[in-house]
Amino acid sequence: MAHSDDSPAVQITSLNKWYGAFHVLQEVNLTIPSGSRVVICGPSGSGKSTLIRCLNGLEAYQQGTVTLGTVPLGDNARETALARRQTGMVFQSFNLFPHLTVLSNCTLALRRVLSMPRKEAESLARHFLEKVRIPEQADKYPAQLSGGQQQRVAIARALCMNPRLMLFDEPTSALDPEMVKEVLDVMTGLAHEGMTMICVTHEMGFAREVADQVVFMDQGSIVEQASPMTFFTTPSHPRAQSFLNTLLH
Amino acid sequence: MTILEIWLGILQGFRVTALVTLYGLVFAIPFGLIFGVAQYLTTGPARFVVTSIIEFWRSSAVIILLFVFYYALPLAGLALSAMTVSAMVLGLNIGGYASQAVRAGLQALDRGQKEAGHALGLSRSTILLRIELPQALVAMSPTFINQLIQLVKATSLVSLVTLTDMTFRAKEISQIEYDPVPIYSSLLLAYFIVCYPVALFGRWVERRINPAREARCAV
Repeated sequence: MAHSDDSPAVQITSLNKWYGAFHVLQEVNLTIPSGSRVVICGPSGSGKSTLIRCLNGLEAYQQGTVTLGTVPLGDNARETALARRQTGMVFQSFNLFPHLTVLSNCTLALRRVLSMPRKEAESLARHFLEKVRIPEQADKYPAQLSGGQQQRVAIARALCMNPRLMLFDEPTSALDPEMVKEVLDVMTGLAHEGMTMICVTHEMGFAREVADQVVFMDQGSIVEQASPMTFFTTPSHPRAQSFLNTLLH
Repeated sequence: MTILEIWLGILQGFRVTALVTLYGLVFAIPFGLIFGVAQYLTTGPARFVVTSIIEFWRSSAVIILLFVFYYALPLAGLALSAMTVSAMVLGLNIGGYASQAVRAGLQALDRGQKEAGHALGLSRSTILLRIELPQALVAMSPTFINQLIQLVKATSLVSLVTLTDMTFRAKEISQIEYDPVPIYSSLLLAYFIVCYPVALFGRWVERRINPAREARCAV
């Protein structure tokens, strides 16, 4: 599973996906170096979420290749399992397990996938709950937490598995405005530690501050890929220009 | 015959009613779980086979199944006791209903639960056993209690294959006394007295096994 430092974290080549007759991803090519922070943005239905869900096998695709480190993602269960071991994912709707406590949410995969002893797993989980600043919530159930706290648990749960790559699928879209910041702060902290991150988001402030690449998608294609500075000041594609105009006004 | 004597007479059949219910559960619980999960997970021809078996037990009249299994199987060289036939037929019939509750509970779960499990690298079986089933079974627990109560009441049919349950005893007493009103009224009450604690037990179980909901209510 280990890959050399010079190989990109993710290499997507000629990716195509259809939902029936609808061509949802069209010839997507993207290289994401290790340690980089990529923000994917674009209008609804442009294929952003579908794209990052292809990176850990939650969505199948019909054409193209996805390589995580040196591991190509294929159809078979073993390759998919390997890909999932390398990636952590945070969903828009948190997807915490409501019947388990916060601590058990974090230790489930450690115990069942990595066969880690309970004490060790709990200690690791508490470490990451501390990191996302909610160690005191460990014994509560998700329903007892605010949205922002739940999303931070989801981040801690993903981090417990020591992923090389974190995928964020609109992590703040379901949150009240005052809870967005607490989640973005945690994500910014992760970025500063050098975690490779791919984040689908409409939080342009986060993109400007944290991202080193902004990818803009429209109708299933990447139509612009640039540094945040270039993207926000001189976007070249008319669709990106109108998207930014809509966001800013 | 005094009401007390009628009651004591009916009570003599309680042991059989309770045994048929308990043995019935031995058939119903595994059948409901295994076939409900199988129907949820399978596709194509495998799902057709699973569904056909469920439909046979769910869609057949229990009383006819009792007769067929009790009287027809010996002709094929397989003689089962009245207790075994009763427990099996009633249990699998209720299990057929329970399988649909299991499947419905699994299907009703947010797709994100399974996806989160996959994203964490959990195997399909771990997702089923640790994430999906615990939530589905808790959500469906009121339905399971319903079905348990239905099973208790359905045991009144086993008097037709010679078992001396509460209904059988009431019929016997009625034939001796020629006074059906107090006897069958007592029988009605007897089933209520057996079933109502089951309903109360169900509510208690629901509270005990659903800490997440209790926690949510406490917020």
